Amino acid sequence: MKPPPVLSDVTIEELAKNPYPTFDRIRSMASAVWVDSARIHLVTRFDDIMTVERNHHLFASTNPGSLMNKVMGHSLMRKDDEPHKLERAAVEPSFRPGVVKQHWAPRFRSIANDLINQFEADGETDLFSSFAAPMASLSLIDLLGFEDVAWEDIAWWSQALMDGVGNYQADPEISNRARRASAAIDQAIDHVLARHVETENPSILSSMAHAGHKHSREQIRANIKVIVGGGLNEPRDAILTTVLGLLQNPEQLAQAQANEKLFARAFEESVRWISPIGMYPRRVTQDTVLGDTRLKAEDQLGICVGAANRDTGHFEQPDSFDLNRTASRHLGFGAGPHFCAGTWVARQMVGEIAVPILFNRLTNLRLQAGNSPILRGWVFRGPIALPVRWDR
Amino acid sequence: MIRFVFVQPDGSEVPVSATEGDSIMKVAVDNGVDGIRADCNGSAACATCHAFFAQELLCELTPMHEHENDLLDFAATDRQPGSRLSCQVIVSRCLEGQKVKLPDTQ
Repeated sequence: MKPPPVLSDVTIEELAKNPYPTFDRIRSMASAVWVDSARIHLVTRFDDIMTVERNHHLFASTNPGSLMNKVMGHSLMRKDDEPHKLERAAVEPSFRPGVVKQHWAPRFRSIANDLINQFEADGETDLFSSFAAPMASLSLIDLLGFEDVAWEDIAWWSQALMDGVGNYQADPEISNRARRASAAIDQAIDHVLARHVETENPSILSSMAHAGHKHSREQIRANIKVIVGGGLNEPRDAILTTVLGLLQNPEQLAQAQANEKLFARAFEESVRWISPIGMYPRRVTQDTVLGDTRLKAEDQLGICVGAANRDTGHFEQPDSFDLNRTASRHLGFGAGPHFCAGTWVARQMVGEIAVPILFNRLTNLRLQAGNSPILRGWVFRGPIALPVRWDR
Repeated sequence: MIRFVFVQPDGSEVPVSATEGDSIMKVAVDNGVDGIRADCNGSAACATCHAFFAQELLCELTPMHEHENDLLDFAATDRQPGSRLSCQVIVSRCLEGQKVKLPDTQ
């Protein structure tokens, strides 16, 4: 048993450009590897991550020094056991698959169609800014129960919060923007909370207001901020990654167009292939062993599900997008008690609505020759530009 | 200890001894029983620990909440009258000698 080896020749810029070669390297080295530039131990093997997620007493989400707590308040993301369970149960009614299908799906469908109406005649667009970002933002505004909020506003709040959570260098400009976003979200909550208290409805704010466990205003604010921060870029990026995977593999696209149910499979595969949340933190609570590596109490772990989802021990040719793969179990939604609460929303929004509607309405949708998609990120990863063309 | 049997889709049987108070899902995972994925480890969020119980047993098992009921409609293998999410069913005396069937896919 060895202490975590050290990797000192990898820069954050390299990780952001393409993390997968580094993930492969780390996976071949040890169960946990200290990466100097990231200042954290990265865990990249599928089976090790399952071990971590089944033992949250050894590998906790609670973290007294968490930047997330400073930026958003103490949310359910940084709690374990009963406190986590109570707050998680409070939001669940809004996220149930049946509620998603009956209540949210018609709304998502109308958002998708309205957005496509706006650019359909143009024959070309960047799907990031004209479709995926507003689709995810407008859907989130409805899910939360916000009113009178512009999609551009929630998009910048989300980005400002995420930048604040990753602001390890303590840049005052980033902190300041996160604070302003946080105050704007508090205002947006105050603007509608009384209505949600008065009238029960499927929105997240209503679910919190009517939860069996009475929430303080601070709890509501912190958990809404987590959902604003974490509920926007994932569906946005998954829409783009699914479209990209299909456009780069025309025979699979033809398969999906012949059998629309396969769009849902394409979505699952896209979340495996390029996981929108590539890494999230856990804290070691006592000296222990993970796989072949000795860990110490208070070690900070970066759980790289983006790497585990390309573990050759679990997936054949993991770097390829393949909606026909038989081993479909992936860690794109995480695992364990913090398993993504929005899973069923994302499945519906992306795999059943946004992506199929896009391909149905835009004939011969294709990538723009000579104008390549740009992917970026390793903690969060997705296309930041997806220029496409179709027949008018 | 309570003894019961997991039955795989191919009919093969996996006998287990379980502690009262544990969930059926935990018993399956602890005993390395194939066919229970339990991605969310018991949070009733993923619907990947679907299992079939004898119908006459249902009224004696841990009652089903609305959330589980909703999730079961979306399990990868179609729901049947004896369907439960095994993370929500606690081991009790009534399971002694019973068979818990596992679906084709989770």
